[in-house]
Amino acid sequence: MEKAVRVSLAAEFPPGLKDFDYAPLADFHVFGVEFAITKLTLLTWIAIAGISIFFLLAVRKPQLVPGRMQWMGESAYGFIRDGMARQVIGEAGVRFAPYLTTLFLFIVANNIYGVIPLAQISPTAKISLPVALALISFVLFNWIGIRQHGAATYFRNILFPPGVPIWLYPLLTPIEFFSTLVVRPVTLAVRLFANMFAGHLLLLVFILGGATLLASDNFLFKGFSFFSFLLAIVLSLFEFAVQLVQAYVFTILTASYLQGALAQQH
Amino acid sequence: MCDIVCLAMADDQSNRGPEWGMSTGWAIVGTLISGMLVWGGIGWLIDWWFNVSFGLPIGLVLGAAGAIFLVVKRYANLSSE
Repeated sequence: MEKAVRVSLAAEFPPGLKDFDYAPLADFHVFGVEFAITKLTLLTWIAIAGISIFFLLAVRKPQLVPGRMQWMGESAYGFIRDGMARQVIGEAGVRFAPYLTTLFLFIVANNIYGVIPLAQISPTAKISLPVALALISFVLFNWIGIRQHGAATYFRNILFPPGVPIWLYPLLTPIEFFSTLVVRPVTLAVRLFANMFAGHLLLLVFILGGATLLASDNFLFKGFSFFSFLLAIVLSLFEFAVQLVQAYVFTILTASYLQGALAQQH
Repeated sequence: MCDIVCLAMADDQSNRGPEWGMSTGWAIVGTLISGMLVWGGIGWLIDWWFNVSFGLPIGLVLGAAGAIFLVVKRYANLSSE
């Protein structure tokens, strides 16, 4: 029996793309498009429910002297509102604080699944969730810019930076177009995805590697598995930091794009 | 040395913290990469279509120069304010 467990663990080494594919728990078709509910979907739903419940509890009975839940909710919101919306966008940024806070907490929750026992995979380690989040931020900052300046002025300021000799526009306009409307959303999504993907793979290498070493018949290899597991623990802590930082970076870049769209001072 | 560091760190508004410096850094990196990707890509396409070999290097240099010009234009005036 124990032999069988060992073999099945060892068989999974080396880790690869297959470790990111979860068997659908349920699947259905909507207009011919296949949808599958996987572990990742469930984790995301739990994150949404958890954040919603957290804030509903926090503001259920708002008091002048906040209770513990209210204090936690207000700290989380205040951290983003003052530390990010005000810092990066300015006073006009306070109205984006709800979006930025939601975005930050949603990404944090989905990221730290990567080091939470039993979950142990970040839904953001698949490209679809970061792409969806980046698209929301992309549409938002363009929409805000268009509403603030009008579509013509907004895109003229992006494509034709003022204070530049006219004969340079053929060279610079494609760069500006690409960097604002292509590189921004793509790097936003890829930065988050790649960090979570690499983190998950890194942890798998050392945990599954340790299991493989432990299962081997060689006495020395069994001993070395200790270091593999030790490194897995150290890297888990490291990954936790990366997960928080990436959520922060995603949110702060969204804030900075919003600031750019609002102010547009080139 | 200070030319670069001071430019990147110069605060044009007192209420802007280190976060602003970080997003400026990403913006500059994004512009530089875009410049080389766009014009390098156009140069590569020229190579491919006309079966020549000078398009990619010229495109890369041109794109890098354009991107550096954009970065200087946009961020260099911050230190003089």
